[in-house]
Amino acid sequence: MALQRIGTRRSRIAFAAGAYTALVALLVLFIFPLLWIIGLSFKTRVQTFASPPLFIWTPTLENYIKVLGTGDFQQAFINSLLISVEAVLLSICVGVPAAYAFARFRFAGRNWLFFTLLVMRMLPPIAVLVPMYVLFSKLGLTETRISVVLAYTTFSLPLVVWIMRGFFEELPRELEESAWVDGASRFAAFRAVVLPLVQPGLVAATILCLLLAWNDFIFAAVLTNDATRTLPVLMASYSGDVGVDWGSMTASGVLVVLPVILFSFVAQRHLVAGLSSGAVKG
Amino acid sequence: MGETSSVIRETEVPAQPHQPDAGMGWRWLDRQFARIAVLPTALTMLAIFGIPLAFSLYLSIEGWSADETLFGGKFAGIANYLVLLTDPDFVASLLLTLGYTVATVAAELALGLGVALLLDLDLPLIGFFRTTLIVPMMMTPIVAALCWKLLLDPDHGIIDYFLGRPIIWLGQPWLALISVGIASVWQNAPFVTILSLAGLRSLPHEPLEAASIDGASRLQSFWHVTLPLLRPYLLVALLLRTIFEFRAFDNVYVMTGGGPANATLLLSVYTYQASFVQFDLSLGAAASWMMLLIALVVCLAFVAVIRKGGTQ
Repeated sequence: MALQRIGTRRSRIAFAAGAYTALVALLVLFIFPLLWIIGLSFKTRVQTFASPPLFIWTPTLENYIKVLGTGDFQQAFINSLLISVEAVLLSICVGVPAAYAFARFRFAGRNWLFFTLLVMRMLPPIAVLVPMYVLFSKLGLTETRISVVLAYTTFSLPLVVWIMRGFFEELPRELEESAWVDGASRFAAFRAVVLPLVQPGLVAATILCLLLAWNDFIFAAVLTNDATRTLPVLMASYSGDVGVDWGSMTASGVLVVLPVILFSFVAQRHLVAGLSSGAVKG
Repeated sequence: MGETSSVIRETEVPAQPHQPDAGMGWRWLDRQFARIAVLPTALTMLAIFGIPLAFSLYLSIEGWSADETLFGGKFAGIANYLVLLTDPDFVASLLLTLGYTVATVAAELALGLGVALLLDLDLPLIGFFRTTLIVPMMMTPIVAALCWKLLLDPDHGIIDYFLGRPIIWLGQPWLALISVGIASVWQNAPFVTILSLAGLRSLPHEPLEAASIDGASRLQSFWHVTLPLLRPYLLVALLLRTIFEFRAFDNVYVMTGGGPANATLLLSVYTYQASFVQFDLSLGAAASWMMLLIALVVCLAFVAVIRKGGTQ
């Protein structure tokens, strides 16, 4: 029950009117900056720098055509995509069995290992980045995509284990027990009985990790070069010369952000499930 | 954490007489299931977390430069830490980071909770607002920061146009700090909204109804009923936002680069510059270890508070 049900009918109507006003104000605050930037991406150079600013204009696609045609952007897009997907796959493959073990079995070092995993999620990335940079460069891994994929597991692995453990714990243990009684091994019960039932969890964990990997900047900024850089690194390289090419900048920004926003609209239910299960339980 | 009822002791699992190809080796292997399942995670953690942290500690007590072999440095003891603690820039950066964290997290919690309370109302079109008001959270932080840089541009920015006079937001110390903070609050308040809304939706109805019958006003109901019930959700939001603001980097990197006059030189940026601009990786390692210890203390303090709250 929400606060709106309190009070007389008249005060409730006034309350609803006030609430709408506040919501619209917030909508302007949260969405207008984004809309304005999207608008800029459809303006020519002259329209962008017009004074006073144009609120109505004939949109142009020239910025998008230009950006999509540049090798830098294409390469960074491919890098971002490959690195995010690889990091998530790695974390899922490594983390899901561990999450199941954490949820169901007792073994030496269980609590200690889980606590370390939480610490890994909480600590500032720069703290592992400095030594990682030195170690990876001595191993010849900097300037390859592998270094970034490995670095991303510092946040995606704890997230996968954390979210999936919650989903495994919600399953009744009778499921596996009956499978064991029927003679299934622990491996078989995990693969054939348990895993199919936690698919929503897998979706939530995958989406959240993809989002974080796609959006990361600091790891990629240190561990990539011109050939392996991701989209955020490419975007940040524009920030030095603001005032030059707003059209390309805003168009690439929209192209970086739009897939994520559309994706999150489609998967919002899973995303919220992942966020709140990863955060609130435990 | 703690033991849950669903945890299985090794001895509780029945033997598997029907396993057709159940040789001794296979059965032994199956009994090690939990260990085998955890092993890849443990090894990965060691490789990307344990070893780097240990190496970073080593770097921080060694005078090491990038052209030397891995263990070629000379022992320097706590010299790097002393350098940091006597560097006015580092001390200023530390205090700035603490102040920045407190201010942005407070703003995010207040704004985020406010939005969640509105979104909890059952009004027509509320679904539309619930979907759109959390969009900034999804944005790539670098892109969001770049957007704010354009919006705040003194020559062509739309914000100065609305204000009617050119303000050089990112060129003056206090304004730059506030701008960087605003970009972060704008982007991260929706996270608090999501958590609070999940909390609000799961609250029991009875306490509010009882308060309403007893004639409590909306403000009283919120303050004495909703807020205490929401406490666990708000604590988690507080913990997570504190941890993430403490490490803030992207918005500063794009919008100000730490300037003007170090006004936005947060610890992450300081460490980044020491390590990857001045290339003093030993100093950077020392700075990152100090950050790590502070983050750990904050984390443990929060976990203690949350645990205490849970048992009450």
